[in-house]
Amino acid sequence: MFAPPLQRLIDELSKLPGIGPKSAQRVAFYLLKVTPSEAGLLADSITEVKEKVRLCAVCFNVADEEICQYCRDSRRDSTVVCVVQEPPDIAAIERTREYQGLYHVLQGAISPIEGIGPDHLRIRELLERLRHPADGRPPATEVIVATNPNTEGDATAMYLERLLTPLGVRVTRLASGLPVGGDLEYADEVTLGRALGGRRQMGA
Amino acid sequence: MRVDKLAVEDFRNYGKAATDLAPGVNLVVGRNAQGKTNLLEAVHCLSGLGSPRSPDVALVRNGADAAVLHALVTRGERSLTLDMEIKPGRGTRVLVNKTPVSGARALGALTTSVFFGPDELSLIKGTPDGRRKFLDDLVVKLRPAREGLRREWDRILKQRNALLKSAPRGHRGELATLDVWDDAMCRVGASLTAARIEVLAALLPHARKRYEAIAGAGRLELTYLSAWVSRELCDQALVDPAATDERQLQEMLAAAVASVRARELDRGISLVGPQRDDAGVLLEATSQESTGVLDARMYASQGDQRTVALALKLAELDHLSEVTREEPILLLDDVFSELDPLRRSWLGEAVHDLGQTLVSSAEPGAIESAAADRVIEVVGGTLRDVSV
Repeated sequence: MFAPPLQRLIDELSKLPGIGPKSAQRVAFYLLKVTPSEAGLLADSITEVKEKVRLCAVCFNVADEEICQYCRDSRRDSTVVCVVQEPPDIAAIERTREYQGLYHVLQGAISPIEGIGPDHLRIRELLERLRHPADGRPPATEVIVATNPNTEGDATAMYLERLLTPLGVRVTRLASGLPVGGDLEYADEVTLGRALGGRRQMGA
Repeated sequence: MRVDKLAVEDFRNYGKAATDLAPGVNLVVGRNAQGKTNLLEAVHCLSGLGSPRSPDVALVRNGADAAVLHALVTRGERSLTLDMEIKPGRGTRVLVNKTPVSGARALGALTTSVFFGPDELSLIKGTPDGRRKFLDDLVVKLRPAREGLRREWDRILKQRNALLKSAPRGHRGELATLDVWDDAMCRVGASLTAARIEVLAALLPHARKRYEAIAGAGRLELTYLSAWVSRELCDQALVDPAATDERQLQEMLAAAVASVRARELDRGISLVGPQRDDAGVLLEATSQESTGVLDARMYASQGDQRTVALALKLAELDHLSEVTREEPILLLDDVFSELDPLRRSWLGEAVHDLGQTLVSSAEPGAIESAAADRVIEVVGGTLRDVSV
């Protein structure tokens, strides 16, 4: 439909998550209008990210060095490890500024439909880490499982609980329940059921 | 609740058509293949639960890309406008009083209706699948928030089946997670089953009363059929559903799942659980030749099966109006044709005591015509008020 180089760009862009053919076309035409240096900046940053960013050898978060910024930071509490599915989850927890411990990124969740089992996740590495803590830092005593509160995330959490409890660490799961500022009336049965199941005594 | 005005665009065989509806009985007449059922179907779609007989894609007129419904609805003291756009594959957009609503909130804001057509006979005659859907739909109609429970159950079952299927190919690693899926299945499966039994227990007294009224004699019995819930618990739960212990259901399911584990690994599919349960419909015969309880599915006559199915649907209506304190809209598609004159006249009278009703008929008899507050004639996708 368009000149081949342009069509190629549109095709490549529409492979990106969240971008359909229409958005891809819009972005492509925008890129046609920007100055060559601006376009070069984008191209370079894509190349650079592929060259320089890799996964942290300890926690599998994205990092620009062998070890990521959180694992390097000696001020962080190494007795708590928070297990998440994907690196963006770390950013979400960091924004709360409530958590000072370390992380572990599974790189997914158990989902037989997609053929993802425990072996495809960074679970073996997590066990290894818990058994052999880094030199000079206190070993982990608690693992917070912060996988997504959906069918797959829950299954992953249950699996981890069975695996980790025998190691003598305390395994906890993020509470799930009603969103703050939400309406009780419109909460769905599953959420409300969980909120009821996980209710807490007031003033305790 | 009732629909006062209905306009459809590109819906089934309708290009553009509109009609007023009476608060009581509306008789929809016309020859075959003119659009009588489609009009009833349009009213059913206003409940947000889609078509009672086919996937949404069939709702859109050939050549159009979306079907649109506009309605003026009265609920209690409130008057609402509903606008609905059904785009297959893109979902359904709903405006209530010109404001977009979505999800469970939309289901709660829309109308509730009970559809009864020739296909509803499969409720008695058909596979257990249809009876499970009837119960599950009612679970959601009664409490829209339970849609989440049903979705989670479907997801867990799919995941577990995918896992079992992958097992024979030697992925021992994945199988390490089977216990985890068993746990999830038992937890959510128990909740779903408790909800189904609760619905069945609530339907029973209404269905019994309705059946006796139409048939004149005989006693209807409903049971929950399950390979993993004990007979005693089923019977007990139908009498006193509030006393059902979900934990006990969970344990029963866990035990049943454990006992078929080897066979499940062998066959690569989940073999026990709510996905295989059924509702049993029994008729206690009172005629002189035979007494005893018979399975309606196998032993009842065609007319009797239709009567039982109708009794179940009317029971659904009764229970819905009891719980929601609003009378749902009753849609009767071509039901008179297979009932004998006695049962016909009973039904003609019974609909008068209900809320708004739409009845379709290819050749209305005296009973139907006398019962109608408004008669709408359908000719090739156009609507005409022919009330006298």
